[in-house]
Amino acid sequence: MSLIRQSAVIAAKDLRIEVRGRYALGAVLPFAGTLLIAFGLSLGPGRTLLQETAPGLLWLAVLFASVLSFRQAYQSESEDGAIEGLLLAPVDRAAIFLGKAVAVIAALLVMEVVVVPMVAGLFGLSFGREPLTLAAAFVLGTIGLGAVGSLFGVLTESPRAREAVFPLLVLPLATPVLVAGVKATSLAVGGRGGEAGSWLGLLVAFDLVFLAAGTLVFGYLLED
Amino acid sequence: MDPHSTPNDLIAQEQPGFSPAAAPSVVLSGVTRVFGVVPALVRADLRVEPGETLLIRGANGAGKSTLLRVIATAISPTYGSGTVLGLDLIAGREEIRRRIELVGHRTRLYEDLSARENLRFTCSLYGMEPRNVEDVLERVGLTEVAGERVRGYSQGMRQRVAVARALIRMPELLLLDEPYSGLDTEAKEVVDRAVLDAQRAGRTVILATHDLTRGGMATRTVFMDGGRILPQLPTPGHL
Repeated sequence: MSLIRQSAVIAAKDLRIEVRGRYALGAVLPFAGTLLIAFGLSLGPGRTLLQETAPGLLWLAVLFASVLSFRQAYQSESEDGAIEGLLLAPVDRAAIFLGKAVAVIAALLVMEVVVVPMVAGLFGLSFGREPLTLAAAFVLGTIGLGAVGSLFGVLTESPRAREAVFPLLVLPLATPVLVAGVKATSLAVGGRGGEAGSWLGLLVAFDLVFLAAGTLVFGYLLED
Repeated sequence: MDPHSTPNDLIAQEQPGFSPAAAPSVVLSGVTRVFGVVPALVRADLRVEPGETLLIRGANGAGKSTLLRVIATAISPTYGSGTVLGLDLIAGREEIRRRIELVGHRTRLYEDLSARENLRFTCSLYGMEPRNVEDVLERVGLTEVAGERVRGYSQGMRQRVAVARALIRMPELLLLDEPYSGLDTEAKEVVDRAVLDAQRAGRTVILATHDLTRGGMATRTVFMDGGRILPQLPTPGHL
């Protein structure tokens, strides 16, 4: 079975679990909504300030939501020792990495489809001026977060590391995504999407590096 | 030449007409496994022939699970070497995994999938058509609840799904680690029937249990204590 087919099988399983349980979206959407509303209220009614900070808040919500999503994605593997079944199956370790990344990226993109219009409404932003730049920023940024989260999410399988290591590793590594995503989103909101090329390029480079790294080293994180 | 090849691999490759199925199912030589500073398995020597049903007895902590997990390539030996189905434990582990099944204490099921979905997922992982899923579900008595989420199953029902997963693949080597734990009599009989099915199909079975009421179908019994395979029959205290 090819790597793509194996990855698709694992992604389909994870998405089925997510659709069935609505764990990630059930927790992530209210979390993102609450975070954005709380920031909106604390920043006050000044529309300019809200509009300037909205891209950053939006990406912070996406970043924290991705951490929650990956915790959930790997929890389904650890509940009854299911990860051992995957490890003892004739499946390329890279397929586990890619499959889990694809499933969480899909779930996060669904969340973003809900959250972005919510932010537009709450903070009075116009996301319709540069829709392609905006979509590229979110898709590329989410792929990057998905790659980092899938790579290090497996560390939550270690009982001692479960609570601490994952955010400690993922949040600093995701900083380039956060910076590039915020910048590209700000430019898109300001109607200057043409200037966002370098930031989108950074996101593409980040995605390629972490997808390649995950594909190559994920197996080493899993083997005894 | 593969730099990871062992002498056993090279001998196997050089023998004309060699078939891995004709090789001993398991050969362990001086296998030790240490967790931190605690030795869970100590200098284990074991040979299991094809078609044999080996029963491993021993108290909790005797090293039965560690032994089975080493054979299953779920963990690597700290020292020592061995082959499973003629393949080196380290260099051949990908192929070993394709040809064995480990049924352990934990049933390794996805709680939010149904029994049917769990089995279909297993078929997908192994590149098999899920043709006999319904047949196997019937054999383990789960047809009526096969569409319900595993989260609502009892331990006995979960173990039946784990057994069904083994039956659906009918691997060359079936490893059962305390498969009777927490099961009622009916569920224990499902496990026994699976072992007998594997026996009839000429498969090798290694069954580890401390349940003295089970294992009558074994062709040979070994005893473990303190991480060691005992060289002779144990005292009643070990039993």
